Amino acid sequence: VSTSVSAVRARLARVVVGLLLVLYAAISLYPFLWMVSAAFKDQREVVAGGHLIPHRPTWQTLADTWSELHFLDYFLNSLKVTGLTVVLVLAIYAAAGYAFSVLRFPGRTALYRLFMALLFVPGVTVLLPVVLLEHKLGLLGGHWGLVLPFVNGSAPLSILMLTNAFDAIPGELREAARVDGASELRIFAAVYLPLSRPVLVTIAVLTAIPTWNEYLLTRVSLNDPEQYTLPIGLQNLQSGAVQHYNVLMAGALIVVIPVILLFIAAQRYLVNGLMGAVKA
Amino acid sequence: MAVPIAPGRRRRGIRSAEAAWGYAFVAPAIVLFAVMGVYTIGYGFSLSFATWNGFTPQWHWVGLRNYADLLWASPRYAPLVHQAALHTAWVMLAVPVLTVVVAFPLAVLLNSVRRLRTVLRSVYFLPQVTSGIAVYFAWVYVLQPDGAINLLLRSLGLGGLSQPQGFLGNPATALPTLIGITVWSSVPVAMLLYLAGLQSVDPALIEAARLDGAGAWRVTRHVVWPLLRPITAIVILLALRDSLQGFQTFLIMTNGGPGNHTNVLGLQTYRLAFLSQLDPTLGLASALGWLLFLAALVLAAVNLRAMRRLT
Repeated sequence: VSTSVSAVRARLARVVVGLLLVLYAAISLYPFLWMVSAAFKDQREVVAGGHLIPHRPTWQTLADTWSELHFLDYFLNSLKVTGLTVVLVLAIYAAAGYAFSVLRFPGRTALYRLFMALLFVPGVTVLLPVVLLEHKLGLLGGHWGLVLPFVNGSAPLSILMLTNAFDAIPGELREAARVDGASELRIFAAVYLPLSRPVLVTIAVLTAIPTWNEYLLTRVSLNDPEQYTLPIGLQNLQSGAVQHYNVLMAGALIVVIPVILLFIAAQRYLVNGLMGAVKA
Repeated sequence: MAVPIAPGRRRRGIRSAEAAWGYAFVAPAIVLFAVMGVYTIGYGFSLSFATWNGFTPQWHWVGLRNYADLLWASPRYAPLVHQAALHTAWVMLAVPVLTVVVAFPLAVLLNSVRRLRTVLRSVYFLPQVTSGIAVYFAWVYVLQPDGAINLLLRSLGLGGLSQPQGFLGNPATALPTLIGITVWSSVPVAMLLYLAGLQSVDPALIEAARLDGAGAWRVTRHVVWPLLRPITAIVILLALRDSLQGFQTFLIMTNGGPGNHTNVLGLQTYRLAFLSQLDPTLGLASALGWLLFLAALVLAAVNLRAMRRLT
């Protein structure tokens, strides 16, 4: 009898655990569900409100938002800014990580510490001087004026992760390549980079996601609608004269979908990379 | 055959070549950092001792007056800063505690199931990935007076909790609501960190506790929780840092309103820097930014000491 009681209790516990997990999944998804719901409603239905599942689902809202509001232009601008930022982050900080991990040179430790100290400078503290500097240099308002500070902002974490990754590669590989007469550049490109692909992907995703969503610097940098990225395009939808939540949520969906796809495609790297960083 | 070189000289030659490569490899990072980092940090620091509206050709040097104005002297700005500091303190108190309270049990529960673990982990991580203006607009939408949250509360028979002015329109609920949403976006990383910690706990320890007759609750409370204290320290540090410095949610969802009831220090800095039109507030903005930096340093030092004690 006692075994059957404990079996019932175990099953009950499993059901409760399952319910709690599903409940938090619902909380995680809550705003997304309503975002999708509103994006597929027409104006009358979204104003009437009430139900999650649209009674007359329509693609029209998404199609109109996409075409009439220049979302294709914003989308391409976002892609350009994000792409340039990711490429530069990988190129610049992989090289720096190689130097910090493998090469011996005077000032190495001090420079490394300097980059790590950047982690403690609040973004809002440097935001104003960056804008003023870019105004002076004529960079403000263009895409490079976004890319350069984004790249610099991701320096500490990227250098930290890449230096750790290169530290884990056995030094014998480099010695062997050197005996064969390979230069540092070649060892870096042909030995260290290919062996660190998981970390490179993790950093690419960790850089791409916040860059794609960036709003604070972008908002005060861009004035010309031709340069707008998606978050600013979305903000413009809201500040427009007539505000309709179906249009706003359609815009939001357009912003969010590429990031979700990227996350699904790369989540193995992202999750393992983050979890590996904890264990280290 | 190469000309024989004395071993010492040869090693020195390799070393200086290696150093040259080293500088070449860090050069791009250093150049960018010198311009975007060092220069701007120095520029911002000196601006904190001046008044300027961004348009006049000259700065007007005022020494430490910006700091005094922010902290107590100015009848216009000091009360704003005090109020924002109070709100920031609430956020810094509530967000770390609530994040741990939600993320730790969630990770333990998730770690206890096999089926759907990966799918659920992805679902839980979604708020982190999409954190930005799009999702905050979606929250604004569901928090409207006739929005989905009020509707849900009424249909659950909890109509008394619904907010006819909207959760962001009522001064009493606006700040707690924003705290809730901040927790919602900081749970994913915390949950993942705990999950990583749980998977590195030695199963033999848990087995031993089980054999001593401890149930799941007591094992979690007396074995797992103490073992994961370093992770809790990291989670709290991250949440504290974000609560001190982050203001994007506040800017997008309420812009500090209604009536400054959700103004925080980061947002106040941003407003002084970019949203004050012709008022000469740029020096004040810099000074407030440096006060935030100081607070971040103190926090990091305290946290480091706490972590040393724990590990």
